[in-house]
Amino acid sequence: MKLSDSKHDGVEDFGENLKVLPTSDQIKELQTILRDRNTTRSDFKFYADRLIRLVIEESLNQLPFSKCVVTTPTGASYQGLKYQKGNCGVSIVRSGEAMEQGLRDCCRSIRIGKILVESDADTHEARVVYARFPEDISRRKVLLMYPIMSTGNTVIKAVAVLKEHNVAEENIILSNLFCTPFAAKSVMAAYPQMQILTSEVHHVAPNHFGQKYFGTD
Amino acid sequence: MAAKVQQFDPPSSASSESDGCEVESSDQVFLQEETEEDEKDNDYYPTPSSPPPPQSPRPPSTGSQKSPRSKRQRTASMSQSSKITSTESILRSHTRTIYTAGRPPWYNSAGQQVEPFVIGICGGSASGKTTVATKIIESLDVPWVTLLSMDSFYKVLSEKQHELAAKNEYNFDHPDAFDFELMHATLQRLKEGRKVEVPIYNFVTHSRESRTKTMYGANVIIFEGILAFYSAEILKMLDMKIFVDTDADVRLARRLKRDICQRGRDLEGVLKQYCNLVKPAFYHYIAPSMVHADIIVPRGGENEVAIELIVHHVHTQLQLRGFKLREKLAHSYIGQPLPDSIHLLPSTPQIKGLHTFIRNKDTPRDEFIFYSKRLIRLVIEYALSLLPFKEQIVETPQGVLYHGKRSASNKICGVSILRAGETMEQAVCDVCKDIRIGKILIQTNLSTGEPELYYLRLPKDIKDYKVILMDATVATGAAAMMAIRVLLDHDVPEENILIVSLLMAEIGVHSIAYAFPGVRIVTTALDPEINEKFYVLPGIGNFGDRYFGTEPTEET
Repeated sequence: MKLSDSKHDGVEDFGENLKVLPTSDQIKELQTILRDRNTTRSDFKFYADRLIRLVIEESLNQLPFSKCVVTTPTGASYQGLKYQKGNCGVSIVRSGEAMEQGLRDCCRSIRIGKILVESDADTHEARVVYARFPEDISRRKVLLMYPIMSTGNTVIKAVAVLKEHNVAEENIILSNLFCTPFAAKSVMAAYPQMQILTSEVHHVAPNHFGQKYFGTD
Repeated sequence: MAAKVQQFDPPSSASSESDGCEVESSDQVFLQEETEEDEKDNDYYPTPSSPPPPQSPRPPSTGSQKSPRSKRQRTASMSQSSKITSTESILRSHTRTIYTAGRPPWYNSAGQQVEPFVIGICGGSASGKTTVATKIIESLDVPWVTLLSMDSFYKVLSEKQHELAAKNEYNFDHPDAFDFELMHATLQRLKEGRKVEVPIYNFVTHSRESRTKTMYGANVIIFEGILAFYSAEILKMLDMKIFVDTDADVRLARRLKRDICQRGRDLEGVLKQYCNLVKPAFYHYIAPSMVHADIIVPRGGENEVAIELIVHHVHTQLQLRGFKLREKLAHSYIGQPLPDSIHLLPSTPQIKGLHTFIRNKDTPRDEFIFYSKRLIRLVIEYALSLLPFKEQIVETPQGVLYHGKRSASNKICGVSILRAGETMEQAVCDVCKDIRIGKILIQTNLSTGEPELYYLRLPKDIKDYKVILMDATVATGAAAMMAIRVLLDHDVPEENILIVSLLMAEIGVHSIAYAFPGVRIVTTALDPEINEKFYVLPGIGNFGDRYFGTEPTEET
């Protein structure tokens, strides 16, 4: 339903494991502000947080749930649904941490692990420097957070670490804001079972995201 | 029974502050001697010396407003007293205390204005017009009445005229003393249910004060003054014309008593004014206008039979015009297809899951608040996406141009319908930087089941804004419609209004859409029914009570 949108370059090629937020003008506005070089840092953070919140909310929709019936204060019954327990978040340091608050705002006590992947400036070769997860991560659904994918190398490394911790590929949902077609292709090729959720697939990645968000530019 | 007399002063923003006048005891209100008006007198004695402080500036008759003078507020009768305490306006009469309530619907179930019933009251100075007006209001048992007095429309005096006035030689009883044009325009707008700014005339300086009194149209508008029937145009606007016919000797006696005993003027001055100006004006202009009257009330306010007849007639007229809103709303539109103006959030598992939490009666308050907030955030984001956007190309740090969009309207404001709508304000502020927030308080009158407007604070120039109107739940839509009507009365175009809710009943959606097709309706869920207490089914319960923790104990 909400998935792909032909306006994004080449989305059709990626299959149903890549989902793009339903495009609305207002999401486009958020993206425009984030990409605009003249946006102030305070605006940047403000609008980034809004977009993150929307992406996180949509990512949570991918989690498993079951039906249930509750009684309302009027005494009537409501056919609702209930999310299963056993989820966790994992952020890829540093820019992935920008998305942690958004997740916290939706799930108050969710466990959050971290992975630090450093990429070699010359070769773009990525290597994992640090990883810390909840102990039983192998039994959980994992919401992997990383806002910008340009080559996809960092994410590929991070997922490799998760798999080393016995997390099943199909239990991983990647939450992402901006993704290049190249990165999408390589990540999908590496992990065909993983689900990816992004707000935009575009050939230029706003690589200034982390710097501007954290103010280290 | 419970009449709530209303004062006219709507909880409008402007009017609000209560003047300091104390509540007058009822009797006083009704003493005719004091109440009657004659407008001119006071004017005269503007000489600073004379009047004890309270009386000084004459109150703008507009009714109650805030005139400093406490003593003879004619208008006072009802209105002012009522506004005394801003929240609980009180009108005391001999036998009961009447709390003025909020403003009930002033439009029909199609959202259209219902023409108010306009009563004109004319009569000589000190004939008891105010007393009659008060008694009518008291017996009418209509919650919202606007009283407009000609006193508000005295012209500003030149210096020379001012001097004449000091010598009791300025003719306040002559038609030339009034600004009939403004009077007509004001009455016309009130009749259309719009907001008006009524001048406040200062009887000491004989000029208009810089502040004005804000008034709204009402179900019943009473217009009174010595020359109420003078202008042919105004005459046409009056649905019922009452002439208060009190004998000249009685009127003179009241005038003498009031001016001398209460205002400290001297006998000679009062008589001079009466003989030279007041009396001739009466015979030239006022008495002849009696031919226009539908009803002539001899002896003024003491004439209970006459008042009863008048009240009966007004009741019949009001019923014909149909003011029973909520009940009517609840029974229309069954089985119609949903209107185009509704925008329902896509029902995702998250939204359904959030609803499951907040609808469950066993959800503890902290979770209720938490999950409500998440849902509110989603609906507000969704509402914003319905506003207009324009193309924009921006430069990126990566050196390429990006074809994007920006909002086409930078003037967006939020208006919450208290109390439950207030819970949504935070989310609007979280997504729109520096947004202005207005508030409207609408409460259900438990005895009539109708919504009533109590309070209103809106950003200035709200007509230039896109308005996100927030209420947590919409059942019959009665409160939402009243809020929309308020916005329309402030000249906000329908297309600029979005009514945003977490949960709506289909009936409410139909009512709003039918009445205001241009208003966009945004909600996260639609429930099919409402129960006899106007709660949505299956619903969420009383959202405000659950959020703020004020539910009655048996409900928890």
